[in-house]
Amino acid sequence: MAVDADVVRLRRGDLNALSELITRYQNRLYRYLLRIVRQPAEAEDLFQQTWLRVVEKIRSFDASRNFDAWLFTLARNLAIDHLRRIRPQGLGEPLANSCYSETVADRIPCKDHTPLDHALAAERRTEISAAMAGLPIMYREVLTLRFEDEMKVEEIAQVTAVPVSTVKSRLRRSLEQLRYALEARYPGGRWQ
Amino acid sequence: MSEHDKIRALLALAAAGALTAAEEKQVAEHVRSCVSCSNELDAWRPIATELHRLPTPQPSSWLVQATLARAEAKLTEQAERDWNRRVMIVFVAFAWLLTIASWPVLQFVIGRFGSLLGPQFDHTWIGFAAFTALGWLAGGVAAVMLAIRQRGERRLA
Repeated sequence: MAVDADVVRLRRGDLNALSELITRYQNRLYRYLLRIVRQPAEAEDLFQQTWLRVVEKIRSFDASRNFDAWLFTLARNLAIDHLRRIRPQGLGEPLANSCYSETVADRIPCKDHTPLDHALAAERRTEISAAMAGLPIMYREVLTLRFEDEMKVEEIAQVTAVPVSTVKSRLRRSLEQLRYALEARYPGGRWQ
Repeated sequence: MSEHDKIRALLALAAAGALTAAEEKQVAEHVRSCVSCSNELDAWRPIATELHRLPTPQPSSWLVQATLARAEAKLTEQAERDWNRRVMIVFVAFAWLLTIASWPVLQFVIGRFGSLLGPQFDHTWIGFAAFTALGWLAGGVAAVMLAIRQRGERRLA
């Protein structure tokens, strides 16, 4: 595995390398945290804490390992600790008023589709987002890592510190629950 | 569990692209001859597609800037702490060197002037050792007090 040059530079205390890494991972990391905690303010706080933890621990990071998995593991541990602190009685409970922000780019219609297609696609994504937000944390996590971060099952296993077979089983159950939630809301597959 | 049931349990993972090459081959072969599983796989596909297309919420630019500023401050603080540690190591090594090097000097002084100062002077090395220990102890206490004060100042800042 190629060693990330920015990670090597950060281990030497290079501030520019830190800036490069934050820029490179900002969207993925923020999205992952938001999917877990579901509240933008909490995700923002955890985003900052994660990078502070990176700076603190970067020297103990084995450069031959996968930096993505290490970064997401740090973020995950902080997020889980945070959730345990603020909602100790129900880590997996769905949260009311969860909100997801859509970017301006997401609202720009594609030339190949009509405005109606675009509106329907946006609605489908909103439905999926809402259904996903209603899943327990371990299912939301595995879905975002697989589909949004496009991590391999083995990488997800590293981040979540569980065997590959457990990741697969969580992935399958999360998809089943998601489908069940969508079909319950839209019988006959009308959401598609 | 029949072959059909086994394959059916893999369909969601097939849509998620989470199967091994061997499993994918098994699923593809089965789906070609099983209409029910083929339909089931078709039902999973739009879910997987939409999950891939979910909008990415983006952090605000102030968050990125604030994070960078805090992380840089931490990095600087760490570098400063490392520097202090290195300086401390050099000082301690130097102090030990000085203590050890002073031993021949002391021997020389005892040998030369000891007899002039009476028989009790043979025990001068004990006094010297006590003096050295006191010096180290005072240095240690001073270092701890400085560290506590520095930590307090950092907390206030």
